Amino acid sequence: MHFSVVDWAIVIGYLVLCVAVGLIGKKYIGNVAHYLVAGRELGMYAGIATLAATEIGTITFMYNGELGYKYGFAAFAAALISGLVMIVVGRTGLVVARFRALRLMTVPEYFQHKYSRGLRLLAGILVAVGGILNMGVFLKIEGEFLTIVSGIDGRYLVAVMTAILLLELLYTVIGGMVAVVITDFIQYVLLSIATILVSIYAVYHAGWGNMVAKVATTMGSAGFNPIQNPKFGLTFLIWQILLWFSIHTCWQTTAMRMFSTKDPETSKRVMTWTGFIYLGRGMLPMLWGIAALTLFGVGAAMSGVPAPVVNGQTLAPIDAMPAMLASILGPGIKGIVVAGMLAATMSVNSSYLLGWSAVISQDVILPLREQMGKAPLSSRSQIFVNRLANLFVGLFLMFWGLYYTPPGAVYLYLNITATIYLAGTFICVIGGLYWKRANTTGGYVAMLMGAAGAIIPFFFVHWSENITGFCAFGLAALGLILGSLLGKHTPAAVGEVSVASMKEAQ
Amino acid sequence: MKYWQVFWTFWLVTAGISFAVITGIVTVRGYQDLRNMFSGLVRQGTKDHE
Repeated sequence: MHFSVVDWAIVIGYLVLCVAVGLIGKKYIGNVAHYLVAGRELGMYAGIATLAATEIGTITFMYNGELGYKYGFAAFAAALISGLVMIVVGRTGLVVARFRALRLMTVPEYFQHKYSRGLRLLAGILVAVGGILNMGVFLKIEGEFLTIVSGIDGRYLVAVMTAILLLELLYTVIGGMVAVVITDFIQYVLLSIATILVSIYAVYHAGWGNMVAKVATTMGSAGFNPIQNPKFGLTFLIWQILLWFSIHTCWQTTAMRMFSTKDPETSKRVMTWTGFIYLGRGMLPMLWGIAALTLFGVGAAMSGVPAPVVNGQTLAPIDAMPAMLASILGPGIKGIVVAGMLAATMSVNSSYLLGWSAVISQDVILPLREQMGKAPLSSRSQIFVNRLANLFVGLFLMFWGLYYTPPGAVYLYLNITATIYLAGTFICVIGGLYWKRANTTGGYVAMLMGAAGAIIPFFFVHWSENITGFCAFGLAALGLILGSLLGKHTPAAVGEVSVASMKEAQ
Repeated sequence: MKYWQVFWTFWLVTAGISFAVITGIVTVRGYQDLRNMFSGLVRQGTKDHE
């Protein structure tokens, strides 16, 4: 066991504080808008904290650390693209400002505004399936991190992760978005302190000059130049730009923060400033991965890089970074860092639980009830359905997440599972907001072709992630254009928000 | 290779500094935002309007 009594006290103290504070959220929940979008009362600073905390988890540190270990400084390109694209989305208000003006609560809800209830249902199913599969690998990877850093016996991993999931479920189910925003704030502060501490420790122990030299000797110029790196290249970079535009605008958990802001202008500011945080979100853990390569990369070559060897044991590249933390952090600091990582884990998981369960309840169950001719549910009943969906997603993750192992690099697995729904959704949203001819037929074809374009090439034909990504977005765009030109024109396009209505929403 | 080293060093420093500075500002001012959110929610009441 690598943990001292002080470390355990810090971690347990954090967990108790977090759950207690999260439960405060319950007293502010009066209707479904309070539960899902915090009554649209989110200001800029709390908005930045909750958006950053939602999208920075232990899983983020792990996959970015893996990228840094495997591809060196060239991996920074992915982080740079994610941050710069977010700043562009924030500055221009692309999609996010219009979404906020429409007072949505979920992304698929837009499909009923612009297209039809049936398309909302299809989008809801694809969003939920893609999102839950995406989240499915979180628990296992996060558990690996905790096991390695704290030294907990692997036999207790399932029990520890189940306990953490249950704690997250407790305050998310009860307090909804209000509880998530409060806990995200605390979690953001903690995870940021941990991120800064680890970055300083990693560079101090590995040495900047040694890190540059190690990447140069093991990877050559491909470790610095992303265009020369065989895993990346120009196609990867272009796909990443496209993917990040779609993630920052249409990813349910990110979009829910935009829906929760006070007005469209606040949503733009939150997005812009979080873009700067996104640079560090990617680059700093990648730096830890490079430090781990420098300190432990002495084993036999595995896919072009030396495998990490720690205490005579050969590890997978993804485990090199946590092994490094276990070795370089002292008592007390280790407790703060693990509490920070737990904070990161809990903020992501609680936000994702709420995000995907919101889609299941609002965009699958409610439209199905309407389709069956049943009376609309009251706000309180909707909250109840949301809570049930939350529990269902939590239970599914507990079983799927702890036993499924993703193939290849985790970052790329996450990209592809996200693309299943993002390709069609992003194209339909862009088409719906900015192209008058877009209609329901085009929307159906785009959603189906986008999903098929991600699933078939990647899982059955085994094409690379880059080509799969292009294929999915390309087919979705083609589907929307052809379907819309050949199909019947939708007469009233509620999704076309005028400047006047946007001002009114402010 | 040298150009790329300088390029990534610049972005890494920018990323690290902006991460730390924004964290500091958000930590101080976010608390007030949360208080405003609570009063906004109380003002909205518990009406079953959505």
